[in-house]
Amino acid sequence: MADRFENLEEQLERFIENTRQLGIIVSDFQPQGQNALNQKLQTMVQGMQEIDKMKGQMQDVHVPLEVFEYIDQGKNPNLYTKHCLEKALGKNEQVKGKIDAFKKFKALLVLELSDVFPKEMANYRAMRGDDRPA
Amino acid sequence: MNDQIRRPEQISPKSSPRGSISPAYQRPDSSGTLKTTISLGKVPSVLHSGPFYLMKEMPVSVGNEITGCTNLIEHYGLEHTYNKFCNKKGKEELSSFLPHLPGCIDTPGMQDNSSLHSLIEKPPITGKEINSLSNTALTSFRLHPGPLPEQYRFMSQMPTKKKHKHKRKRESGTNGALQETTDNPADSHEKPAKHKKTGKAEDNTKEPSGGKKESGRRKKKNKKKKVKDKDEEPQS
Repeated sequence: MADRFENLEEQLERFIENTRQLGIIVSDFQPQGQNALNQKLQTMVQGMQEIDKMKGQMQDVHVPLEVFEYIDQGKNPNLYTKHCLEKALGKNEQVKGKIDAFKKFKALLVLELSDVFPKEMANYRAMRGDDRPA
Repeated sequence: MNDQIRRPEQISPKSSPRGSISPAYQRPDSSGTLKTTISLGKVPSVLHSGPFYLMKEMPVSVGNEITGCTNLIEHYGLEHTYNKFCNKKGKEELSSFLPHLPGCIDTPGMQDNSSLHSLIEKPPITGKEINSLSNTALTSFRLHPGPLPEQYRFMSQMPTKKKHKHKRKRESGTNGALQETTDNPADSHEKPAKHKKTGKAEDNTKEPSGGKKESGRRKKKNKKKKVKDKDEEPQS
């Protein structure tokens, strides 16, 4: 699985390097460089063909759209992973807090109700104790 | 709540609301969640069979159930990942993620219409075959000799090179303290002007090729400063 990503990465790096060299040739063009320019153009087309062939291997790869926002802003996409983890941890702590709060509330409520309605709460506890699954 | 649906002619203390079923027998309901008994038949009735109103059975909790109480990062073995991404100070620039890419990639994609978002909104035409260029097609790529105009030049300088320029300024400054003191007020006066000029240049060109312009102008200004300093030194 990692091989296909490495292959794609290599292919893209070669394509980008070829494009960069093409840009250097064009920025200060000389007639002697016409053959080199033609060769670079052909290499560019071949690179596109190779990358196009690889798209079949990437059909099952899903990228979240939020990552694109980070890339478009010039930010490291690892920041997205970092923020996801931080949000997940924060949400986890929030839900745990809610569960703990409800548990404390239940304990306090049972305590207070036992003071006010002792018989009924004894019945309740007996019923809950019978109904609770092992 | 005791909702008893009885026919008027059958209302009598002798008639049982549960029909032929004995009241001592509590028929369990199929769902197992309600503490009421619904009996159908000749005399349909809904009877509350428990002491507490709307009391339901507790949900069956399995021991391995994942709830918010569990630390999900530990559960899924992401501690190392969390430490790697969150505890270590990483660089926020895109260039730190892709260090081998040429050019300045830290600029927003909206500036030069190279954003991935625009690619999603307006996807390019796909499905056509990519064929190699023929000789006749290559003849259209015959270019005029000579350098490109400045506005069309590709900016291939990396942002780190600017830091080296600042270091060179400091290195030249350490040779003579006077140079530093004379440079600083000049810099402080000129910095806002520099920003204004670069802003105007960006507005005019709207292309990422302004970096070389700025570096060229800075070189000229540095030369002017050095000339001024040389003029000032013999006067002082």
